[in-house]
Amino acid sequence: MMTEEILAKYKPQKDNLIQILHEIQDAHHQQYLPEEELIKIAKYLNMSMSSIYGVTSYYTMFSTKPRGKYIIRLCESPICDMLGSDKIAIKLKEILKINFNETTSDGLFTLESSECLGLCGNKPSMMINQRTYTGLNEDIIELIINDLRNE
Amino acid sequence: MSELVTITIDGKQLTAEKGTNLLQIAKNNGINIPSLCYHKKLSPTGACRLCLVKIDGTNGLTASCTVQIKEGMNVIAFDEELETIRKYLLDYLVSEHNEANDETYNDEFKDLLKRYDLINTENRKFPSVWKLFNYPTDDSSPVLTYDASKCIKCFRCIKACNEVQGKNVLSFTDRGISSYIIGGFGVWGESECDGCGECIQLCPTGAIVEKPHRTEININKIDRKVKTTCPYCGVGCQIELFVQDEKIVRSIGVDGLMPNDGRLCIKGRFGYDFIQSKERLTSPLIKKNGRFEEATWDEALDLIAFKFNEVIEKHGNDALAGYSSAKCTNEDNYIFQKFIRTVFGNNNVDYCTRLCHASTVTAMLRSIGDGAGSNSIEDFETTDCLLVTGNNIIETHPITATYIKRGVARGMQVIIIDPKWTPLVKYAKLWLQPRLGTDVALLNGMIRHIIHTDLINKQFIETKIDRGWEAFEELKILTEKYTPELTEEITGVPKDKMMEAASIYAKSPTSMIATGMGMSQQVTGTNNVFSIINMMLICGQIAKERAGIDPPRGQNNVQGATDVGASPINYPGYIPIGNEENRRKVANIWGVPFESLSSKPGLTTVEIAKAAYDGKIKALYIMGENPMVTDPNLNHTKNAFEKLDFVVVQDIFHTETTPYADVILPAASFAEKNGTFVNSDRRVLRVRKVVETPGSARQDWQIIQEIAKRMKKPMTSFTNESDIFDEIASVTPMMAGISYNRIENGGIQWPCPDKSHPGTSTLFIEKFNTPNGKGKLNPVDYVAQNEKTSKEYPFLLNSGRILFQYHSATLSRKNDALNAFANESYVLMHPNDAQKNKLTNGIKVKLISPRGELETTLKISEEVLEGELFMPWHFSESLVNNLTRDELDPHSKIAPFKLSACKVVIN
Amino acid sequence: MKKETRIALKNLGKINPENIDDYLFHGGYQAIAVALEMQPITIIEEIEKSGLRGRGGAGFPTGIKNRFTSNSCNDCERFVVCNADEGEPGTFKDRIIMENDPHLLLEGMLISAYGIGASKGYIYIRAEYYLSIDRLKKAIESAYKRGYLGKNIMGSQFSFDLEIKLGAGSYLCGEELTLIESLEGKRGYPRIKPPFPAEKGLFGKPTLINNVETLSHFPSIITNGAEWYSNMGTEKSKGTKIFTISGNVNNPGFFEVEMGISLHSLIYDFAEGIKDGKTFKGALLGGAAGTFVDNSMLDAAMDYDKLKERGASLGSGAIIVFDENQSIYDLLYSILRFFKHESCGKCVPCRIGTAQLLSLMDKLKNEENKLEIINEILFQSEMMAKTSLCPLGQSPILPVRSAIKYFEKEIISQSIIVNNF
Ligand SMILES: Cc1cc2nc3c(=O)[nH]c(=O)nc-3n(C[C@H](O)[C@H](O)[C@H](O)COP(=O)(O)O)c2cc1C
Ligand code: SF4
Ligand code: SF4
Ligand code: FES
Repeated sequence: MMTEEILAKYKPQKDNLIQILHEIQDAHHQQYLPEEELIKIAKYLNMSMSSIYGVTSYYTMFSTKPRGKYIIRLCESPICDMLGSDKIAIKLKEILKINFNETTSDGLFTLESSECLGLCGNKPSMMINQRTYTGLNEDIIELIINDLRNE
Repeated sequence: MSELVTITIDGKQLTAEKGTNLLQIAKNNGINIPSLCYHKKLSPTGACRLCLVKIDGTNGLTASCTVQIKEGMNVIAFDEELETIRKYLLDYLVSEHNEANDETYNDEFKDLLKRYDLINTENRKFPSVWKLFNYPTDDSSPVLTYDASKCIKCFRCIKACNEVQGKNVLSFTDRGISSYIIGGFGVWGESECDGCGECIQLCPTGAIVEKPHRTEININKIDRKVKTTCPYCGVGCQIELFVQDEKIVRSIGVDGLMPNDGRLCIKGRFGYDFIQSKERLTSPLIKKNGRFEEATWDEALDLIAFKFNEVIEKHGNDALAGYSSAKCTNEDNYIFQKFIRTVFGNNNVDYCTRLCHASTVTAMLRSIGDGAGSNSIEDFETTDCLLVTGNNIIETHPITATYIKRGVARGMQVIIIDPKWTPLVKYAKLWLQPRLGTDVALLNGMIRHIIHTDLINKQFIETKIDRGWEAFEELKILTEKYTPELTEEITGVPKDKMMEAASIYAKSPTSMIATGMGMSQQVTGTNNVFSIINMMLICGQIAKERAGIDPPRGQNNVQGATDVGASPINYPGYIPIGNEENRRKVANIWGVPFESLSSKPGLTTVEIAKAAYDGKIKALYIMGENPMVTDPNLNHTKNAFEKLDFVVVQDIFHTETTPYADVILPAASFAEKNGTFVNSDRRVLRVRKVVETPGSARQDWQIIQEIAKRMKKPMTSFTNESDIFDEIASVTPMMAGISYNRIENGGIQWPCPDKSHPGTSTLFIEKFNTPNGKGKLNPVDYVAQNEKTSKEYPFLLNSGRILFQYHSATLSRKNDALNAFANESYVLMHPNDAQKNKLTNGIKVKLISPRGELETTLKISEEVLEGELFMPWHFSESLVNNLTRDELDPHSKIAPFKLSACKVVIN
Repeated sequence: MKKETRIALKNLGKINPENIDDYLFHGGYQAIAVALEMQPITIIEEIEKSGLRGRGGAGFPTGIKNRFTSNSCNDCERFVVCNADEGEPGTFKDRIIMENDPHLLLEGMLISAYGIGASKGYIYIRAEYYLSIDRLKKAIESAYKRGYLGKNIMGSQFSFDLEIKLGAGSYLCGEELTLIESLEGKRGYPRIKPPFPAEKGLFGKPTLINNVETLSHFPSIITNGAEWYSNMGTEKSKGTKIFTISGNVNNPGFFEVEMGISLHSLIYDFAEGIKDGKTFKGALLGGAAGTFVDNSMLDAAMDYDKLKERGASLGSGAIIVFDENQSIYDLLYSILRFFKHESCGKCVPCRIGTAQLLSLMDKLKNEENKLEIINEILFQSEMMAKTSLCPLGQSPILPVRSAIKYFEKEIISQSIIVNNF
């Protein structure tokens, strides 16, 4: 959807900013918020550039850099961390050949970490885009990534 | 009145208004609780935690900056635990902080480190961590540098920008210890920042510092700081200039003094370079064989005296005229007009007011008896509704605009009437965009709506309007034809919007009008203002606090110059020259024979040029004016000036006008003068000498006295400005109570009729200043303007000012900081017009009107309507006034700068 | 033994959460019907009498908060806000409610709104909860269609609009005053207290903020009466609570039980004991902003005040269990890293303290004077607790103090082991 169409759905009220940012980011094929779009939002909501940028930079789900088709959010919060998400992280970096906050060269995956996703169990968890994954171990990770590569 | 309460801090009893800020009360009473994020001009933040105190009945510690006092509050501000905590917090803070300090700024943080014995790194507990976070430096702004490693994250800059200036340019980015300040999307120079520097002034450390001259400053070696009044616009901000080695190196706003309470715009803060510019005139110059040669003062003054006398002998008294100056002090202008009246023996004295607000003043004088703004600057924050007509107030009166923005933040409704977008639209409830020149129709439509919906103020009409209902009936009959439909047809403003605007204006408990050049600089300028005053009167939106009409004045001393008599028809204090009794009174004070004062109205600015063209004026004395940029239809002015026998220009720089001079005299700038200015809200403000004049430049008033002496028509010889002011006060009833002594620590608003009078913040509370004390309705009809577009000239050109340059730019363009923001002429065109004419952004174009042409750069922008163009007029290489007409408003003789048909061709 | 008492989860598994008819069939929207027959003040009184306390973590009496909000002004606009930001590590009870029974939350909000006289409500939910958001959206849509939201609900004078607002990745935004800032579209900085939300909250208006689980108790309280509710639980902690158990247990998950249950029962009966035959070492109660306990606390009753007396906290109901092989040093490190990441940076002690604490943890690994460093960690956490602006900066002391209390030796030895790697 075009930014203009998304904006038209909302009243030009500042309290709609976060929802608008989400929608525009989700609609972008690179899942990020380009500056041109932020300028449109600023105009529409009659807000200054910095108050928009301040918000996008505060919240970890927003990005002002292009990202991949799949955003992997690996939980690094205390429980998952205790249950070995660090090993999953190593594995993910290895198969994707990228570090955290980087995107694979094919534009498919961006690796990010996250705080607790509310999926705590007795094994680590993560999300890829809107899908949740629990009970992770190093083998499962490989399968998940391969599946997505073939999707 | 608020309730008084008594509280106890560390055993000391203090009494103050209930609800005041605990930290501020403590500070006011010498209880110096440390703080960094608090500033009395800002809302409390509670971020630095240094001001933590213990309050009886409250668990734990409380940040005193966030507490409003209540009766009986018992506070512990200092004990061992609190002091340990404060030291610990400062120690924390310094671990996050880059201490490099180049001694160019005051450092509140460092002062606290000293106080808590933390300067010595051995006394610190925590390892320095700031290097871990790669804090960036943003050097992209032309006026300031932000170094995140020196930032203590106190929010003061953000709040300075938001709450004080209403601009919202700054924010934090990121969060936690990685957070730091950004402008815009992270590049200050590309943000909306307009360089006012409020953040610099309120930053407690050296994180935000100014660029201009900073490297020259050593904060420990400042020789003196002198308070004076800003020389740019009519707000009259109080500034403090820092002098180091006889050089002005910094300008800051003076906190706590009106009209600005410390706030400044970019011109006030960074526009002081011109004072000590190398281009200043330093010696008298006499034109010999077409070239200017340096001369001694004796040579120059003798020549002038001889020539002026020669013209008087040959052509009579009426063959001379003078342009006085809205840039000069009251004292200078007073002496100048006295010179014209007693030495030239005529009333041919005028100045640029003719070019801006003469129509406004004319209309106001006729209907309410005073041409000055009825309110105080702070009312722009507290009124309920503000109607802004033809007034780009954010750019032309930036500090007045700060009050408006704060008002909007607390719920004030702003209605704008302007064909052109202005930045204030962002803050407005309604923006009516009438076609150029249709204001009278719009206002009549609004008046009709107000009458038809019975929103008139009946009691006001009965008691305060001249001829009451009878006058009202006339207005009603005249406006009856302006039905919403017809009004919409003429003006292009949707009728619903027009009606809503009228209702809001009429219904609000208090409404003010800020009217500007867009209304006044038209052939129908006076009528425009008449109609708005008609509306104001029938709604009774005047003669009470926070209501009335305020034409913010363009120049620093436009108000004062007219107040002290730089007018072809009035003596100082608006005393008409035509009245014999007046002449006698004035002659008596001036010590001249009553017969020597002419009763004939003098010529106005544009009339002087016309008379020169017709050979009726032969000699001209110009003090601090630049008519070759400011006059309309410049080609005509040029021809007129070339016909003059003798021209004296007294100025601080070469200008577009000096080439037409026979003698150029170097004068003192505001920073070298003592004196007074009167600002837009009638405040008489002190101007103080900061540095010596360059070369042999002299005070304007001294030069004038000297010429008079050499013409053998000596005037009272003053030796200082204070004495001049006392004479002004004796002639000018509304300033009778003012003297230098009384305004030493802050200005006084006239009228101030006697020494014990506190000054007047709102005019007309008791009565209007008209002979019978009542306001007068002046019904006016809409007349389509003569200037129309045609096939050949399809565009209507509007002209105006921008924030970063000032007037004819003589002063402002000598400042790098201002030029960095805008140093090039441009013309704005609507995208649809650009498309139709196949013009692209940034190309060079020629604008041609029946009267002349100019070259400029095209900017495509939605800020203008289709069919209309807008151009700033500051840039002498693209003189807008080559295109404008000199057809005059019949009432006020103002020229229609706002409306010229023209065409645009690719250059 | 393993018997849940379900109030917030009463419909779990029984209904299709995307079908309002299912909810209606199971008695849905009958509580609001009853409520609409009552005086608003009676609702507040019922809630007060029930003894319900906030399930978001602080355990503040819900009725009192309702009353404050209702009394803070006559005739002005008010809001109810549901806190569905659920960011406390180890907590996922609200997600379970929203995914499985979204209408229950809506009904709870309706009742609370009617009670305090609010006509507009918001659910502030973390954006990662896609399924919850989706279900809530559908529920809101169908509730509007059936007249359970909107004008003149069920033919009464009461009207109520409800809107979902998203978070975007910030733990602090679950703190009520920060949540309000975020709801208004701003950066998540906490506001200065007072004023409390009940006086001046969203858009400057009185605002009632309650947790998802708290609100989900409203319908049952109204239907069954305050007495029914207050018969459950303990003297001061009434009713039921959902505990979410994670870590080294055989059967991690969520369990809604009566307050007062022992920690032992939760871990061994419901979570079915320690995984892989290992032994219980300890648990973290209440998430990152919670407290460590060891096996001496297994007998503790899950009751706000009784736990507090014993230096522990119930918090959001998260129970993170760890066995003998886990490094408490690592766990504490992870918790402190979490706080550093989530500190908004507004106030000095927390912004710098969270960073300094983490570097002290590093130092602990590398230096010999471990006791001294541990004392320094304790001292700085205490200072943070005393001086920080909002509860986030006041939180690290909880895990730090309790970890040191129970596991100081382990922390020291584990930091050496790490060093030897
Ligand atoms: C850092 C921090 C995070 C919080 N996060 C949440 C949260 O995610 N959900 C929640 O309901 N309460 C959270 N709270 C508690 C809220 O501030 C508030 O007490 C609660 O929403 C009140 O609702 P209740 O009375 O129904 O529990 C948090 C508090 C703090 C200090
Ligand atoms: S730049 Fe200055 S005023 Fe702004 S937050 Fe940093 S230290 Fe404070
Ligand atoms: S305690 Fe932490 S999270 Fe709270 S205001 Fe201070 S820095 Fe922000
Ligand atoms: S800690 Fe990872 S999902 Fe909760």
